[in-house]
Amino acid sequence: MSAYNLASLAFLLFALAAAGFLTCGSLVRMLMFLELMLNAANIALVALNPLPASQAYAVMIFAIAAAEAGVGLAILITLSANFKTLQAGNIKELKG
Amino acid sequence: MIAAAVYFFGAVAALATLLMLFQREPVKAAMLMLTALLATAGIYLALSAQLLAALQIILYAGAIMTLFIVALTVLPQAWRDHPEKKPFLKVLGLAAAAIILTELVKVSAVLKTVLRSTDFSETGALALAQQLFGRFAFQFELLSLVILASIVAAVALAAKRRPA
Repeated sequence: MSAYNLASLAFLLFALAAAGFLTCGSLVRMLMFLELMLNAANIALVALNPLPASQAYAVMIFAIAAAEAGVGLAILITLSANFKTLQAGNIKELKG
Repeated sequence: MIAAAVYFFGAVAALATLLMLFQREPVKAAMLMLTALLATAGIYLALSAQLLAALQIILYAGAIMTLFIVALTVLPQAWRDHPEKKPFLKVLGLAAAAIILTELVKVSAVLKTVLRSTDFSETGALALAQQLFGRFAFQFELLSLVILASIVAAVALAAKRRPA
């Protein structure tokens, strides 16, 4: 098993999640695909380097992902209260 | 054997993500995401990163998935999220993903010569803790600030505005 194969696996997962992020219109789903993209980056980090340092980075990315999910969902709650929709295409107005 | 396990779990994760793309029910999409996250934990196990596998299950499959399910429950708009059937858009998205994948694989062609040793050395909790509290102690402490900021932001965003 070469590092190339492992990297390709992580890239495949990242590309599929990116496809989902680009095509789905719902904001909740976009956040889900965003988490999966972070997850794929984490796989690449762990798979490409056997040293404990890379796993330490992966643990830090876990924390970042959790923080990101929390803030993202809070933003979604605010958006749904203000716009009554969670479709990205329907949110067109800015408040200036 | 280890390679077979990595490829199996990778295939499960990829399949779950692909099915998630075409799933119209939001809760079923969340369950497919859970499958992908658990398969990732399997990859970590196969790569001898046991602590990371446990953290993946606890943090991603536990905490973050719960957050998504709660969000789907409390947001009535999320239930009405049935995307219109636009197969053209999906094909376009998959084509974009294929381009991203080709580019990434092409760039990483230098890795072909690098062999990932198959005798994976186990990284225990002690080795990880020595990194997190030794070499990366400053970054680790900064992370707690990031999480504190995200808590404050989440509360400030989601709390109901009281009239002054």
